[in-house]
Amino acid sequence: MKKLVLSLFIVGSMLTSCSSDDDNGSSGSQVVAPATYQFERNGVTTVNYGGQTSRILMGVEFVSALSDNTKTEVELDGMFTNTGDYFSTSELNTSGKDIRSKTAASNDYFSANTTDGNAIKSELDGWIANQVNDVFPNWNTIAVSGTAGQIQEAGGGSIRYVNSKGLEYNQAINKSLIGALIADQILNNYLSPSVLDAGDNITNNDSDVLDGSNNYTTMEHKWDEAFGYLYGTDDALAPQLNQDSFLNKYLSRVEDDEDFAGIADDIYNAFKLGRAAIVSKNYTVRDQQAEIIREKISEIIAIRAVYYLQQGKTNLGTDYGSAFHDLSEGFGFVYSLQFTRQPGTSSPYFTKSEVDAFVSELMTANGFWDVTSETLDSISEDIASRFNFTVEQAGS
Amino acid sequence: MFKKVLVLIAFVFIALACSSSDDGSGNTSDNFDRTALLTNWADNIIVPIYDDLNTLLADLVVKKDAFVTTPNQTTLNEFRTSWYNAYKVWQYAEMFNIGRAEEINFAFQMNIYPTNVSDIQSNIESQSYDLTNVNNNDAVGFPALDYMLYGLADDDADILEFYTTNTEASKYLTYASDLTNQMKALTQDVTSNWSTYRQTFINNTNNTVTGSLNKLVNDFIYYYEKGLRANKIGIPAGNFSTTPLPEKVEGYYRNDVSKALATEAMGAVKDFFNGKAYTSNVTDESLASYLDYLNTIKNGEDLSVLINDQFDTAQANIDSLDDSFTNQINSDNTKMTETFDALQMAVVLLKVDMLQAINISVDYVDADGD
Repeated sequence: MKKLVLSLFIVGSMLTSCSSDDDNGSSGSQVVAPATYQFERNGVTTVNYGGQTSRILMGVEFVSALSDNTKTEVELDGMFTNTGDYFSTSELNTSGKDIRSKTAASNDYFSANTTDGNAIKSELDGWIANQVNDVFPNWNTIAVSGTAGQIQEAGGGSIRYVNSKGLEYNQAINKSLIGALIADQILNNYLSPSVLDAGDNITNNDSDVLDGSNNYTTMEHKWDEAFGYLYGTDDALAPQLNQDSFLNKYLSRVEDDEDFAGIADDIYNAFKLGRAAIVSKNYTVRDQQAEIIREKISEIIAIRAVYYLQQGKTNLGTDYGSAFHDLSEGFGFVYSLQFTRQPGTSSPYFTKSEVDAFVSELMTANGFWDVTSETLDSISEDIASRFNFTVEQAGS
Repeated sequence: MFKKVLVLIAFVFIALACSSSDDGSGNTSDNFDRTALLTNWADNIIVPIYDDLNTLLADLVVKKDAFVTTPNQTTLNEFRTSWYNAYKVWQYAEMFNIGRAEEINFAFQMNIYPTNVSDIQSNIESQSYDLTNVNNNDAVGFPALDYMLYGLADDDADILEFYTTNTEASKYLTYASDLTNQMKALTQDVTSNWSTYRQTFINNTNNTVTGSLNKLVNDFIYYYEKGLRANKIGIPAGNFSTTPLPEKVEGYYRNDVSKALATEAMGAVKDFFNGKAYTSNVTDESLASYLDYLNTIKNGEDLSVLINDQFDTAQANIDSLDDSFTNQINSDNTKMTETFDALQMAVVLLKVDMLQAINISVDYVDADGD
């Protein structure tokens, strides 16, 4: 009997040694995150995401140009594609980067689905065209149901410029790009093993083979490019947030809601630890951090979608200007849901066809002019039901 | 005693489970018969394809000579038919960028499209050109002949004028002739070279980046990804640009052959993957049989089956397209991008799953970085 117990003990110990073989980081190298997102090799930084910063800056100029009724469609298209030197600096004009080609263009979602990728790009092209052809000519017309024009928020507030259904295209485009460009590139491209581990990236990272004349391995750089889409205009070592009009701003907004306080640190820490894991060649820890980031960034989009639909609801019927502004932002965040990523899967929280159904609910007939509270609530509930928050938490 | 046996059995099972978890990767030294694989590729696929291409180019020269001697509708038609026959076989040959073909950049001298009309015109004008010069890669080969045979004017009578009554007719005839002779000479060179290169190719079984298997597998995937997926479908469909580019299809000037040429290319890819002989239906060692030998499974299915199924899906997409991709792009480009997407799904299977299984690295880089 003693022998049996002893044998079982041995077997048991083998079982554990066997499972630790799968190296969930437990027996592998211990990864320690640095205090800030600072990584160096031979005393020189290995972090570089200039291309991401450029695209965010282009996005900021492009979005603000959408509200300038002196712009032509050619100019706005030129900013979307970076052709024709329409940006304010020659750095941007000659950067070789552009926004459109990275819109709905992630490796995981669109490399084998260029059909949807092209449809999304074309949809944005269409919104640009409509802004120029439908809204700009009516800049001084008072908008009413079925007619594009301007509408002022109550109490002498901001003037909003909407299409015949009450939608502000500049808001729709701005917020849709948070999903289609920023989140899609981060979650479904640069944090994905299909990109991080492409080609010989693992072998090269394991042996510290650098990417040409650069001071980083390709894998390090891919991770940094994900980081750059969120923090590209911010201080990487001490993010201030609210530094641009894309995801960085809305991370700040969600962080400022006490229901979600802490999310900013969660995301920053995951980026740091994941990057440190690449330096330590621990890809299990790296991928765990990627999943955290996927979940949290998806949440930002969903929370803001619900928030704006709920905010818009409170002004329906009394202050259309304010309501339409909120609903237009909400529209963009709803559109962005198709680019989210459920951790542990290769799927978004809402598919393109689910999102298209939401959009057509919002835009049916005269759109925001006659959308009901019930519709806004039901979309809000649908969204919240797939996340760990309630409509109440997100809506205020 | 019985209990001890049980424990022992458990012990053995666990030891087995443990060790089997070690050999999922890093199979640098599997015992698959690479020599048999390379021999099949050389003797039953590559050499017969080059022989056929060389024969068809000899015919092209004959038809061209007849046309140059007597340029009329009949000789033009025969010249065109011969061009098309050779162009179809070219789809099988383009992927083999190895040996002499690699040294002389054979594919760059045979099938760069869209062809550059202004370069062609200035060559004709100047009568002074080196067709092998890199600058002329887009002014030679099948696409340049496509222009010379179909693109000089809108109808045949006007095209024939360039070779007959036009004041520069002799220059046009000379250029058409030089192009054709050059294609034949290059093909002859590559084909002849294989009689000696064959043994080098077969002997080079090592798994380094210069090994035959390694190189040809990369050529194969590159051809699939770039030559077929991108050049024939993705680029004209606008997947790499802001708008579709229907003038960038293969065989643009004749125009009704882009689907047929893509179909040939798809057939070439599938046959190569399955090790099917060029001149018969016999199959021998191949990438498919290699994967089966390694028992490569993905999502519970043989990887070789998944790849073949995806090839079939892609071919079904191609079948649904207009004979002229230009027309297809202009009428319903979605069908083009759906075809691209079907082709892309096999890229992942080939480039990630297959290469991992046979332990080969990609030797070319995508230009998608930033």
